[in-house]
Amino acid sequence: MAELIFFVLSLATIVGALGTVISKNAYASALWMITSFIGVSGLFVMLNAPFIAMLQIIVYAGAIAVLILFVMMLMDRRVLEDKERFNPQYLWAIAFGLGLLADITVLAFKFRINLSHIGENLTLNGSNTKMVGDILFKRYLFPFELIAIVLLVALVGAIVLTKKDKKEVE
Amino acid sequence: MFVEYMVVSALLFAIGATGVMIRRNFLIVLMSLELMLNGAGIMLITMSYYLGDVSGQIMFIFVAAIAASETAVGLAIAIMMYKKKRSLDINDFSALRK
Repeated sequence: MAELIFFVLSLATIVGALGTVISKNAYASALWMITSFIGVSGLFVMLNAPFIAMLQIIVYAGAIAVLILFVMMLMDRRVLEDKERFNPQYLWAIAFGLGLLADITVLAFKFRINLSHIGENLTLNGSNTKMVGDILFKRYLFPFELIAIVLLVALVGAIVLTKKDKKEVE
Repeated sequence: MFVEYMVVSALLFAIGATGVMIRRNFLIVLMSLELMLNGAGIMLITMSYYLGDVSGQIMFIFVAAIAASETAVGLAIAIMMYKKKRSLDINDFSALRK
């Protein structure tokens, strides 16, 4: 049963990713991307990480996808449907992608890890969220604060890049 | 099941990398970048489960935060270039170099 669920979820993930890269229209691409994200979220549930699965849906399928769709809404439809989808050097790119895939797959088959702790230490008092919060605010407090600064800088950068010049206003 | 999860992660990463290289539309390049980050995320969560250590999930939270800020800045650049050039073609973006 677990294998069947895994197969369906990974199929959704991979087909969604292929659809994102191949489809002609950017809207269709964004919808395929959301399919892929939801498949990934299901894989996270299977790996005993329900908090991260919810985070995946909220941040990726919610915030990022909606942000991209809103930006598309502001643009001309003709800009989003390109006549030439691919760069002229696409054969090299595909060869590089296949090489990358073969490389990581060989590594995955050769990789040996200690499997005596499968699924342990992931919960505190029966809750994965409690464990994540405990580790995040004790062991990883400093990186957490750094991430807050990175988000602030990104916010300011996005506002500065999109604001109108003084000449345009006048 | 360990190898299967790693292969799904590798597939997602490779498809995303290919998308970044072959597509001409800037928004689709950004989406392919998100796919690459998700592929790395699957690998992190798989390792977290099989090694019995919750740190991988914390790393994924950091990756998600970086992905969100990267998308915000990337979309700001896309809007700026759209206002200036009325185009989202990657090859027009070489004007950023000057």
